[in-house]
Amino acid sequence: MYPRPIPETARSARAAYIALVVAVLILWLLPLVTVMLTSLRSFEEVMAGNYWGWPKSFNFVENYTAVFKQTALARYFVNSLIITLPSVVGVLVLSTLTGYVLSRHRFPGNRLVFALFVGGNFLPAQIMMIPVRDLMVGVGLYDTYFALIIFHTAFQTGFATLFMRNFIAALPDELFQAARAEGASPWQTLWHVVVPLIRPALAALAILTFTFVWNDYFWAIVLTQSDAVKPVTAGLNNLRGEWTSAWNLVAAATIMVAIPPVAMFFMMQRHFIAGLTMGAVKG
Amino acid sequence: MSQFWRRHRHWLAPTLFILPGALLFGIVIILASVQTIWVSFFDWDGVGPMQWVGLANYEQLAADPQFYTSLKNNVIWLVMFMLAPPLGLALALLLNQAIAGMKFLKSLFFVPLVLASVTVGVVFTWVYDPTFGLLSLIYGWFGATAPALLSDEHLVSFAVVIAALWPQIAFCLVLFLAGLNNLNEDLIGAGRVDGARGFAMLLHVVLPQLREVSFIALAVTVIGALRSFDMVAVMTSGGPFGSSTVLAYQMYEQSIFSYRFGYGAAIATVLFAIMAVFIAWYLRTLLRPEQETA
Amino acid sequence: MASVEIQNVEKHYGGFHALKDISLTIDEGEFIVMVGPSGCGKSTLLKTIAGLETVTSGRLRIKERDVTHLEPGDRGIAMVFQSYALYPHMTVEENMGFGLRMAKRPKAEIDAAVSRAAQILRLEEQLQKFPKQLSGGQRQRVAIGRAITRSPDVFLFDEPLSNLDAALRTQMRVELSTLHGRLGSTMIYVTHDQVEAMTMASRIVVLNGGRIEQVGAPLELYTNPVNLFVAGFLGAPRMNFVTGKVTSANGRSASVTCGDGLTIDFHNLIETPAAGATVTVGIRPEKLHVGDRVATTSFPARVRLTEYLGRETIVYADAAPLVTSGSDSGTGVFTVQIGDIQPFMPDAPVTIGFDSDAAYLFASDGKTLSAAKPVTKI
Ligand SMILES: Nc1ncnc2c1ncn2[C@@H]1O[C@H](COP(=O)(O)OP(=O)(O)OP(=O)(O)O)[C@@H](O)[C@H]1O
Ligand SMILES: [Mg+2]
Repeated sequence: MYPRPIPETARSARAAYIALVVAVLILWLLPLVTVMLTSLRSFEEVMAGNYWGWPKSFNFVENYTAVFKQTALARYFVNSLIITLPSVVGVLVLSTLTGYVLSRHRFPGNRLVFALFVGGNFLPAQIMMIPVRDLMVGVGLYDTYFALIIFHTAFQTGFATLFMRNFIAALPDELFQAARAEGASPWQTLWHVVVPLIRPALAALAILTFTFVWNDYFWAIVLTQSDAVKPVTAGLNNLRGEWTSAWNLVAAATIMVAIPPVAMFFMMQRHFIAGLTMGAVKG
Repeated sequence: MSQFWRRHRHWLAPTLFILPGALLFGIVIILASVQTIWVSFFDWDGVGPMQWVGLANYEQLAADPQFYTSLKNNVIWLVMFMLAPPLGLALALLLNQAIAGMKFLKSLFFVPLVLASVTVGVVFTWVYDPTFGLLSLIYGWFGATAPALLSDEHLVSFAVVIAALWPQIAFCLVLFLAGLNNLNEDLIGAGRVDGARGFAMLLHVVLPQLREVSFIALAVTVIGALRSFDMVAVMTSGGPFGSSTVLAYQMYEQSIFSYRFGYGAAIATVLFAIMAVFIAWYLRTLLRPEQETA
Repeated sequence: MASVEIQNVEKHYGGFHALKDISLTIDEGEFIVMVGPSGCGKSTLLKTIAGLETVTSGRLRIKERDVTHLEPGDRGIAMVFQSYALYPHMTVEENMGFGLRMAKRPKAEIDAAVSRAAQILRLEEQLQKFPKQLSGGQRQRVAIGRAITRSPDVFLFDEPLSNLDAALRTQMRVELSTLHGRLGSTMIYVTHDQVEAMTMASRIVVLNGGRIEQVGAPLELYTNPVNLFVAGFLGAPRMNFVTGKVTSANGRSASVTCGDGLTIDFHNLIETPAAGATVTVGIRPEKLHVGDRVATTSFPARVRLTEYLGRETIVYADAAPLVTSGSDSGTGVFTVQIGDIQPFMPDAPVTIGFDSDAAYLFASDGKTLSAAKPVTKI
């Protein structure tokens, strides 16, 4: 291990080290912590300009219920879920299929198709903005959930295909030959052999895709307009404009927007890190 | 039919499997991207008929001072973002200790990574606020007045990049921690036996083993810098007076607000051309070892 | 009745010609063992029979049915892999019943087939375990069990025992032979192991460079190889080969001189070489003897190294200027196998003798010229 581990016996050195790390952590997360504290302050306190001191009163329930009652945040939240969950499912299904075929079937153009998936995944969003927006307007999906679901599913399939292909390619080839020799159809092989073996990859992809889609801002403002379909990221930015002085409420909304991905991250941290590093390392 | 299916399913089934994903990605991502290049040769308001103008959009772009501002800002992003890998590595070295509680602290360090850029933008707008922001507070301690970073044409881009660095450093931290986890213990041991320690060990034994991870951290950072849009949109909307725009934002603004879709497409194409160089370099390096073994 | 018929099968991998005009008819209940050097196409041939690889041209029939274009699952075959290829997420029972489940057989039938296979392979206690909880030998038995449950017409094995240690290998070898006797099914078996080939096969197929060199019963192949390659491939230690020149040839007889003066007379040749032609003389190590026994041919040598194996003794003798080519040790010394323990001093001068009837003569293209020798009937 590098740096050299602090010996277990050096109790005080260890305690001091942890104290140092905690100090760095506080600095690191200071911006976020202050937003959290402000989300607990009363309106009067905010008006009085106490942004950085310890809150005089804790208005947790009031502020957070106010955010949901007085703003459209609840709506945005539901919208985000309606957009994100189907996208995650769509990406998992499509990328399992594409990854399986690209890793296990030799055909002319295999590498090219794979390279397109990988390369497309790095494209800047702006390069496809105009035609995608135009397409969605054309088929009447602009400013509906479907516009975002379809786009996110398509775009994330690029990264997910890369991820799945590499994961499935690492499984032993003889398992697939054995399945074939035993008369399993491609579909049966996929369902009974591949899917059970790629569960960890599915978990990692699910959390990664969830985070990517939930956090998206660009497509939210390009493909939606009305509060009825707008996801939280775009919604939050609107709120900030509308509620300029009620910083405690904006802060509460900000925290609410951050909670789902952060909670997902803490629940499935191992998968998230593994997925992110594997995805990055292999592409 | 079923006889036909059984005979041919070994290639029919895979074709059917790959089709939905490939079609969706092909149309929505690849085709759309190519189409943008096509659109860049037209004058188009997004609704009416398209008017072929050849290279006129690019000529206009070459004469547009705003374009150079964007380009300059993209360079600022790129250069400043280069801080993310070393800072991420430094944090990773700090956190790579197996002490009770360290695991939890590590996860807290990762948090900025999973925040939406809108969240980061809002948080930092706040930090930078000249009347009640954290920055003004700190300046206040020294009896000075904080500059209004986000309304200062010369400082605004730097302020935005610093905010964007926050999650990017966390990303590099994750990568480097994973890299430190995969170090070859024998080599470290050999280094210790040979008397390497501290910085010498880092330089001669550890960093060479982190080469792949460093490359990835660098590449991810470069691409992240060129992609920057959200933070500019949320924190400054390109202002003041367009001084903090980047190509991605200028393109969005020209298309959505000014209805100059052809012009916007031209900007997107330029951005794409710049990124393509980096993407090609990245993919080549990544896919090469695999091709050699295949 | 022919169980498997392979007709003029060719296989190309891009520009690489992996199988060259393979034809072979396998009878019902035969145990065919395929041997050959690494990369010669054994696995490829097995996979084409299984349908895991398509043929470039040629036909395949199993039980009179043309299966050339059928999916593996429809060919009536089962395959056992070197790495076992057990599904890690399924129990032993699920692994063994997988093929039948995929074919949507009734549960009762699957259970019956699985418990029969488990009983044959003594796996009844392990049915609920996962592969990673089993020993290597048990895993291999599960892999075989998975094949048995499908009651295939033909079993295909690709080096199934090579991941096991020596003792387990012997045990599994015996079990497989017993299983073959019990099921009476046709089996095709690929191996690197000479002992497996010699003991299990009803017929051995020797492959080389994508071509079949020879097919025949083990002892037939050992005694009467059709060419130098087969002669050298079968038998451990390897046959001694010495290059020589035909000094005189007359009718079906010929004299061959090797080195400086060793002359060997051959009779009953199946083909007469031209006088002056370069040929190769081969003699198996166990047909050489050391000492003063009366022999038709003998030459002096020095002992370089002696290996005492208990049951036998292997002597490496340097007979310079007479040198062997392509020997195991790669040094040009002769390998002599003696059936008991016999001490030799290093560097001791000895006389090596053999009976010229035991020697083989190969033409420069490798073809065997010497007459067939009687094969011991078993
Ligand atoms: N998918 C493939 N593409 C190209 N060449 C291949 C492929 N599979 C096998 N080959 C080539 O075909 C030849 C025969 O391979 P095969 O696996 O049949 O050898 P083998 O006799 O089983 O060898 P071993 O004893 O080492 O298992 C080898 O030279 C191999 O390189
Ligand atoms: Mg093989």
